[in-house]
Amino acid sequence: MRDTSKLSDEEVIGIVRTKDKESYAEIINRYQTKLMRYASYIMGDEHMGADAVQESFIKAYINLNGFDTKKKFSSWIYRIVHNEAMNALRKNKRQLPMDDQTEFDSGVNLEDEFIKNEIINQAHHCLDQMPIIYKEPLSLYYLEEKSYEEISDILRIPIGTVGTRVNRAKGIMKKLCQKTQK
Amino acid sequence: MSKNPKIIPVDFEETIMTKVKSSEISMKPRWFFVLGSLLMMAGLVGLSIGAIFLSNLTLFLLRQHGPMGQWRLQVMLNSFPFWVPALAVVGIVLGIMMFRKYDFSYKKNFLLIVVGFIMSIILTAFILDYLGFNTMWSRQEPMRRFYQQFDRQNSTTPRGQGQVPGQGRGRFIQ
Repeated sequence: MRDTSKLSDEEVIGIVRTKDKESYAEIINRYQTKLMRYASYIMGDEHMGADAVQESFIKAYINLNGFDTKKKFSSWIYRIVHNEAMNALRKNKRQLPMDDQTEFDSGVNLEDEFIKNEIINQAHHCLDQMPIIYKEPLSLYYLEEKSYEEISDILRIPIGTVGTRVNRAKGIMKKLCQKTQK
Repeated sequence: MSKNPKIIPVDFEETIMTKVKSSEISMKPRWFFVLGSLLMMAGLVGLSIGAIFLSNLTLFLLRQHGPMGQWRLQVMLNSFPFWVPALAVVGIVLGIMMFRKYDFSYKKNFLLIVVGFIMSIILTAFILDYLGFNTMWSRQEPMRRFYQQFDRQNSTTPRGQGQVPGQGRGRFIQ
């Protein structure tokens, strides 16, 4: 297997397609954590998220020759995960709640850690109630640090709509959290 | 929102690479995608041409049925082949659905694309009708038989402009 760690995603894909299919492992390593976080977040269940990500990696490999290397691979793979997640949610008809046992980074101070966890739990509780059309752009923008253009390519919606949804999502989040505090 | 929620560590590499190495999963060939793109393009062009033709035929049939006088409305409703405009509408809708597969559908104003597509089909149909293509096709093979079919259906209504004045007097029309 070649050393592909310094190559761009698109270059690795080129190698997988033409020379060395085992280099696909590099792509899996680069994306599995990010995609797991994204899928688990939008689906509200880690096991469902894992299934969606695994299925997405398989679909991406099968359709690798259909990927246009002039475009961003990350947007393409996120799009596949989005489709898989949406199909799974449609099948289940309902969004499952977030795993209550989700753990977060540990801090030094226990009191700070408690407050931090409280805030995070509260934030997740608010986010769980948010409709998926707002939840998804919000997670891509803040968690995955994607640009509006990339989100537009992943969700296949105009850039203006991405901006509107992110802004509305912030407003909804604020209202939901205020309601929870009361 | 925390950026570092600890998620269940899942290692997809082994599972997927085992399938790749054992050829349980394999890449679809490049020609498959090229063929898919070509077929989609051909489908879109075909649907557009079909929708233009059927819209043009609708205009021709409307003209054949004469002016929309109240007394003629019932006759027209009874004999008008509604499947023609219905099929034209289906063609336009399918064309719009195919547009959604292309990237420009979400990068540009999609409503404007849809309105532009519909307008261009109707406008082309009008131009074709105005230039007399319908009259020409209704007289020439291979389209003559197709147009005659409508003529037979409309035999209960008065003859419209589809027939050229002066022809058919004292000689057979083929």
